[in-house]
Amino acid sequence: MTQFLAVSNRKGGVGKSTVAVMLAHAAAAWSQRRVLLMDLDTQCNASLMLIGDVGWERACRAGHTIADYFFDRFDKVAEDESAYVANDVGDVAHPRLAGGRLSLLPGSQRLEDIQGELLLKHSKKDLEADAIAVQVRGRMKRLMKHFGHDFDLVILDCPPGLSFAALAALDLAHHVVVPFRPDFVSQFALDRVAMLIERVETAEQLASICLAERRYSCLANCLKGTGHERLLIDQLTLDHPLLNTRLPMLDSIARAFDWDETKQSLEQKYADAVPYLRALHDEVFGVQQLRAISA
Amino acid sequence: MQKKTRALSGASQDAYFRRVFKAYPNLSVDERERLVQRLRQEIAQLRLRRSARSEAETPSPEAPTVRAPATPAGARVAAVPAASISANISTPFDPFSPNVIVVVRTAGRDAALAALTAIDCPDNLRLLAREQRLAVAGDPTSATDLRAAIVAAAERRIANRMAAAS
Repeated sequence: MTQFLAVSNRKGGVGKSTVAVMLAHAAAAWSQRRVLLMDLDTQCNASLMLIGDVGWERACRAGHTIADYFFDRFDKVAEDESAYVANDVGDVAHPRLAGGRLSLLPGSQRLEDIQGELLLKHSKKDLEADAIAVQVRGRMKRLMKHFGHDFDLVILDCPPGLSFAALAALDLAHHVVVPFRPDFVSQFALDRVAMLIERVETAEQLASICLAERRYSCLANCLKGTGHERLLIDQLTLDHPLLNTRLPMLDSIARAFDWDETKQSLEQKYADAVPYLRALHDEVFGVQQLRAISA
Repeated sequence: MQKKTRALSGASQDAYFRRVFKAYPNLSVDERERLVQRLRQEIAQLRLRRSARSEAETPSPEAPTVRAPATPAGARVAAVPAASISANISTPFDPFSPNVIVVVRTAGRDAALAALTAIDCPDNLRLLAREQRLAVAGDPTSATDLRAAIVAAAERRIANRMAAAS
């Protein structure tokens, strides 16, 4: 059964696309999974990291992006969705015999407009606004789910805001990784996204759900090893499940996302970040919800 | 025979640098921490003279001098009274401990007040409040009042966060 893993945080600049691409590379290379990264962020950073600016422009011109997919297929019975997918993306070489591969459903800056158009189209059906929103979200979720047929793992790189696509992705995901930078405002962002993922409305309701049973894990990212970070992480541990893996601020991670057509091994690409990537890979794919699907 | 130097690396090396930088009051806690991180990246191992270390940790009444590490020929290095260093470096204050919000939330107000009683110096209490982003109300001067104000600030922070989330 296909695993759906979302990478999300309502706050921007916390490394969502970076973490999504790292996990996609690691799962394809080390777990030999057939991985699809679905770029739901209109900034399209994950797409640029995996196919470069030229490849991304080509996908946009050909109408092979997530926005095109939602728009073209919204009212139709699902057809062959593979036309929208770019295969063998990224600059990490996966041994072919091992069966791992990485594909991408490219992002689009038009995704927000498309969502508005779909909402408008359905508003003509005499439905209440909430009902229309639920319908659009539900359809997007089903459209995302179609990709489950061809992949072992679908990673949903979510945008910072609460678009229909982002909400559909959170609804669909078996597990959500929430990267954050340990600063003062992050705790508020984590509280909010956690309530959204757990579908509760108050902090008290969230607190009543045992940390081990939560559908998300928080990932401390871009650490510099300061006392302030330590302080905040200790505080967040009281309210949220935190991954033991913590990603330091490393040049090798930042450099890994300069697009390069030359294929290299994962070890060459991530250099001194490899031990962190290995730990992240092992921990994320070992979480209860994802383990249960693999079993 | 005991070695004349002792190797420090990792956490012990960081702790040593923190103790040394603490002797420079014009460096903020953030600046000191940045220096420690930078040195951690660049220095794998530090060899510290045993005499310097032991003198620094146990002030002697004669106030002997600590010699600087070997310097290029001809360079003159001022000798520094070891006791003046030891006074500064032997009792490092960590403004991130105790984590007041965590103590209030896990053990309650009284436990937080009790944990803060280990800190006597009002300046250190102010530093702790500033580094832990706890906005102390009014202008308390005594350690007792400062502790109470810090715990109250922590309670406000906790309440504000709950309110923001709900």
